[in-house]
Amino acid sequence: MNLDFTQIVPYIPFMLEGIWVTLRFVFFAILFGFIIGTVLALFKIGSIRPLRWFADAYTSIFRGTPLILQLMIIYFAVPQLSGYDISPFLSAILAFGLNSSAYVSEIIRAGIQAVDKGQTEAALALGVPYRQMMTDIILPQAMKNILPALMNEFITLTKESALVSTIGYLDLMRRAQVVGADLYRNFEPLLFVGVLYWSMVMGLTLIGRFVERRLRVSD
Amino acid sequence: MIKVENLTKKFGNNEVLSNISTEIKKGEVVSIIGPSGSGKSTFLRCMNLLEKPTNGKIYINDKDLTDPKTNIMQVREQIGMVFQHFHLFPHLSVLDNLTYAPMKVKKMSKAAAQEKALDLLEKVGLSDKADAYPNSLSGGQKQRVAIARALAMEPELMLFDEPTSALDPEMVKEVLDVMKDLAHSGMTMAVVTHEMGFAREVADRVLFLDHGVLVEDGEPNSFFDAPKTERAATFLEKIL
Repeated sequence: MNLDFTQIVPYIPFMLEGIWVTLRFVFFAILFGFIIGTVLALFKIGSIRPLRWFADAYTSIFRGTPLILQLMIIYFAVPQLSGYDISPFLSAILAFGLNSSAYVSEIIRAGIQAVDKGQTEAALALGVPYRQMMTDIILPQAMKNILPALMNEFITLTKESALVSTIGYLDLMRRAQVVGADLYRNFEPLLFVGVLYWSMVMGLTLIGRFVERRLRVSD
Repeated sequence: MIKVENLTKKFGNNEVLSNISTEIKKGEVVSIIGPSGSGKSTFLRCMNLLEKPTNGKIYINDKDLTDPKTNIMQVREQIGMVFQHFHLFPHLSVLDNLTYAPMKVKKMSKAAAQEKALDLLEKVGLSDKADAYPNSLSGGQKQRVAIARALAMEPELMLFDEPTSALDPEMVKEVLDVMKDLAHSGMTMAVVTHEMGFAREVADRVLFLDHGVLVEDGEPNSFFDAPKTERAATFLEKIL
């Protein structure tokens, strides 16, 4: 037992930089996943059969295979097929975004379906067109219901983002490993980035609570 | 105003409305009554195509609703509907509930829509609730807001689907009073109700449905005092 945190001090700026690196692709992956997920959810509840079929198949594939496999396929296998040398940053956004959208679409679908059917009927009876009904009446109510589940998904994504260390992307996790290899000491850098991950998740949790409170004004 | 010809509605093999024909004239108030499961709500919901008729025709101002070429959204603008469970938009304030459709559908300006909304809220006695959210209102207040919301679209016809059935007894009157005022102002109304007092006092005509069949169609006093059919007589015996 000889923990010595002084040794990692010179590496702290290097590891802190990992926060930014991680956050940058997590942000885009969440955004990307959310947009695609919303579209897929609308496909699933819509009446166009091929789109429904597509969304279901999509979800089945991305939920049914390991995320790390999807990441590896995009980073290592796609270049082999297309000849396009994809960067770790782009493959990370793609893999995490596409994967997350499968989960998000299920969350949003459930949220939309949980909105009282009477809301749709009231909007239709007033002559409100489908699109406006969705954006102004149904989705805002659905969002309120699904926010906790959505926050969970975002938190999971933030933590799972550590998987990108396997494709050589210099994120928080990878940086801890680099420092560990340099010092021949692993506990200190791993514990350090562990605290950083936890802080990031806490930040997300607080944002989520804030948004939830804002949405609850109508109760 | 509205003409129904041989309307039939089936859910799967279950025929809930059989061959109904009737007419509601402009300014007329028609009560639709009958035992539960008689198809009266379905009948009402067919009139703005919330339920799609299996067979038959519905004309509103000589426009055939069942014709696929008819723009149903445009027709619905002219038909207000009030539901048993209100269905106010819970994330919008009372005022926004009233102004939403006029602004979005009729492209009314915000100022004009708000003026109209405040005017209607005064009519239903809820001027002080403009900024409240629906969840803070009592059932009777919610239903009065729902009536005002439908009226904000300036409909030519109002459909009421058991508007007082979900209310506590002491709140029924405040809603019925609003409906009475509306009837006296000349609005064309179709009201599915269990309030026989309202049907007798306010309605110009009573439609009695049983098992999806229009059994009686006539003037309220003669219907209540001397029903022509056995089925109506049995029904009235049970509830009066």
